[in-house]
Amino acid sequence: MVIVGFLITLPLLAALLLLVVRNDRVRAPLVIGAGSLTMLGSLALAVLYLFSPGIYVKIPAPYSEIISYATVAVSCICCLYVLVKGARNSKPLAVFLAALQLVFVLILEFGAAHDVEVKNDLYIDQLSVIMALVIGIIGSGICIYAVGYMRDFQHHLEQHAATHHHARLDSGYQALEHHAKDRRHIFFALMFVFLSAMYMIVFSNNLTWLLCGWEVTTVCSFALIGYTRTREAIDNSFRQIVMNLIGGLGFVMALMLLSSHDIKILELDRLIAFGSLNGGIGLVGLPVLLLSLAGFTKAAQMPFQSWLLGAMVAPTPTSALLHSSTKVKAGVFILIKLAPVFAFNLNGLVVILVGGLTFFFCSALAISQSNAKRVLAYSTVANLGLIVACAGVGTPEAVWAAIFLLIFHAAAKSLLFCCVGTAEHHIASRDIEDMDAIFTRLPRLALLMALGMFCMFIAPFGMLISKWATIVTMVDTGNIPLLFLLAFGSALTFVFWAKWLGKVLAVAQGGSNTEHHIHKSEWFALGLMSLLAVGLAIGLPWVSEGVVVPYLSAVASGFSGDVSSWAEITISTYSLPGAIVGENSNLRAAIGFNDLLIMATIALALIIVFAIKFLRRPKEPTSSIYLGGVGIDSSKRSFINALSTTSVSTQRNWYMESLFGEKVMTSFANVLVIAVMVLGAIAIYVGFGGVL
Amino acid sequence: MTIISFAVALVGFVIFAPVLGCLLAGVDRIVSARLQGRVGPVLLQPYYDVRKLLAKENRSVNGYQEFYIVLSLAFAILSGVFFFAGGNFLLVLFVLTLSSLFFIIAAYSARSPYADAGAQREIIQIASYEPMTILLCVTFFMATNTFNVSEVFNRDLPLVATLPLVFAAFLFILTIKLRKSPFDLSYSHHAHQELVKGITTEMSGRTLALVEITHWYESILFMGWVALFFIWNTMLAIPVVIIAVLLIYFLEVFIDNTFARVKWQAMLFWSWTVTIICCLLNIIYLIVLGYLG
Repeated sequence: MVIVGFLITLPLLAALLLLVVRNDRVRAPLVIGAGSLTMLGSLALAVLYLFSPGIYVKIPAPYSEIISYATVAVSCICCLYVLVKGARNSKPLAVFLAALQLVFVLILEFGAAHDVEVKNDLYIDQLSVIMALVIGIIGSGICIYAVGYMRDFQHHLEQHAATHHHARLDSGYQALEHHAKDRRHIFFALMFVFLSAMYMIVFSNNLTWLLCGWEVTTVCSFALIGYTRTREAIDNSFRQIVMNLIGGLGFVMALMLLSSHDIKILELDRLIAFGSLNGGIGLVGLPVLLLSLAGFTKAAQMPFQSWLLGAMVAPTPTSALLHSSTKVKAGVFILIKLAPVFAFNLNGLVVILVGGLTFFFCSALAISQSNAKRVLAYSTVANLGLIVACAGVGTPEAVWAAIFLLIFHAAAKSLLFCCVGTAEHHIASRDIEDMDAIFTRLPRLALLMALGMFCMFIAPFGMLISKWATIVTMVDTGNIPLLFLLAFGSALTFVFWAKWLGKVLAVAQGGSNTEHHIHKSEWFALGLMSLLAVGLAIGLPWVSEGVVVPYLSAVASGFSGDVSSWAEITISTYSLPGAIVGENSNLRAAIGFNDLLIMATIALALIIVFAIKFLRRPKEPTSSIYLGGVGIDSSKRSFINALSTTSVSTQRNWYMESLFGEKVMTSFANVLVIAVMVLGAIAIYVGFGGVL
Repeated sequence: MTIISFAVALVGFVIFAPVLGCLLAGVDRIVSARLQGRVGPVLLQPYYDVRKLLAKENRSVNGYQEFYIVLSLAFAILSGVFFFAGGNFLLVLFVLTLSSLFFIIAAYSARSPYADAGAQREIIQIASYEPMTILLCVTFFMATNTFNVSEVFNRDLPLVATLPLVFAAFLFILTIKLRKSPFDLSYSHHAHQELVKGITTEMSGRTLALVEITHWYESILFMGWVALFFIWNTMLAIPVVIIAVLLIYFLEVFIDNTFARVKWQAMLFWSWTVTIICCLLNIIYLIVLGYLG
């Protein structure tokens, strides 16, 4: 258990140190050291607890009191920080929400929650160990990546400021030196605070402690998104804070309801046990709906997706961190935890529909984007939607799919973000069209980028296997609307990945390699994430058998003493051949072990074949491409046309904006999802009075 | 799917599928010619064409294209082997998608404007038929309670009786999969339809031969999907399947020769519309059947 304390406090201490150290030479070893220690700590945790059943721990009386007061203080400081920032930037809505949040937190802590006895404050189970590994390895990896990246970032910023100095001063704008000021110490400190808060979220059984971690991630991303202090960055950071405060309010209100006289539960495990025992309805109906609202906002589900899209203005490591291992993953984590409460009830249906619709619409929207980071953002939202939908289905098989989606998405998406970030510093653009011939200019980076994309959407790699499991579960549980959303959404997913992948792997005849400028720390992180993505794809059958399935059987057979009805619900409602049975030994994944093994073998074979092919020097082209005339230069696609003059052939990918554009789709989809939420809330509220 | 069924399917599919696929392509060309009032080539013409391509000097626009084409062929074969070994339908589908993706990458790798245009169209074709293929697996499971295609041999009635509308929608997208007009957007065997040579613009010699062979394997795999709807647990199924497959293939050739190519918007719209309506109605039909029996 000491190790949990270590994981929460180490990044905090590192953050404090980094705040003080402003010399980049000293900072680099510090970040690498702290990152490695966090990584090692997570690995040690895995060695100790990955294969053992969950344990629950009560912190002894005086200490737990102290920690509780500290968490309240931190929550309040978060609210106050937003209050002050909001007032300074004249953002009334943010100020209002932060004030409301502050009041609610105080009422909760010193009112109802004060009398509720909390048996176990912390816990470690296999899911939290998996989360800790994601945070520890990928999160720390991104921090290390940032060392090299931020050096280039600062360099570009200063250059930019120098060239535009006079123009900007004349227009009476905020002086650009202000933007270019070296604030990297704050950046790195925030990154590590983020990690600490995430550990807090995945280990807290005490819901008020969890709330504290929740608030800290919100405020950290607020500060990180606004890092560059441009108008756009500040606006986007406030959009983030407003949306997440709505979710945060939902969280606090849920806790207020839970701590009231009727329920008196402020522990995650007891909430899940109590909730699933009551079929997710009745007294827990409304609090669980409010908690899912908090999950939706954090996981950027429609209609809240715009904050994540706006978060791209931040330096790329921020995006990588937000998308892969922190923040949005906290949102889906809480929903996955609550899955047993969602099984076969109205609450679950709302969650399924929100996730499913988000998956479909965001996959479509991604087609219309040529900005690589926006494509990645929409893809993140879409995949989170899939995870959310799986959580909403709530059967053990669905949770299996959700957990693997989470793991693979974390690995592949962090790899992709880091690749795009590095590419941006070398081609001076994040537009997919400008990545033309990147395979010739930055060959190894292009290959890693391609690997990341393979991992995101195609068999035999992880995301597709998880999607496969999702399809199986949806058929098993008869979720026909979701099956349609899934079938059509998957086709759209194929479109935007395939055309980008094609662009990245296009070979220009001629052109030079400029790859030697990439920092070592960047290569290290990219290598780490690639290894993780590939290793997991190959090791999937064993991860499933050794970790995820035992976790699910443990959850199905009871929560720390309380007998769960999760297994009963799933069995009684659906007794299909693939359905999971309560007895530990009979619990299986949605996909047969042999089929998983086949996919793992194909993945291994593909990696070996690619490695052999791309490590060798390619054969030289023996023919030039066809251009509709007499070719002059294949790499420039110039040719002599029928009028004996020179033409250049250009070609862009299709973005089909008239069909999939944001103007066409976003408002419609938002309204649709809001309608689902509102109707669901009304129905559950009515059910709250005993009608359901 | 057992090791034995896999081994048998491996040997059988690798050897016989290209032979049958080649014959099918020969029949296709003769029937097409007759429909157009021509005599047409000999039955083995597709074979002679491929043999000639294989004998040509190997020229390529880069050192990677052939590699991707080989992968595309390998996964098309693997997918077929899984299918004829009676394996998991979704596994078959996903491996086949991998094959299609490598074909697209091969075209993109040339970085040629015409091949790129073909590749984009191929992507749209996949977007048009992919939902139907997934829903085909899904409805297959709803009807049989398993994803293993070998299950059809245990049934008392052919699948087409329980999934008639799914079969109809499948036929619709089969036209795309077989690269037949009006949905032969990315690449066609008819010269008059073509934008240079579509997705295969930059492929020649051995590489193009491999593309043709991949097409033979795929044709047989898709005919296997057709056969899936007509198999049940008697010997009578054998002649029924043979007649059904030949009729369906003739129907596809007929459609190929009667329609002009449509725009991608029309293809996407119609295949999605047909997929949604047919699958939804058929699922309702399945639910009703479930209540009745």
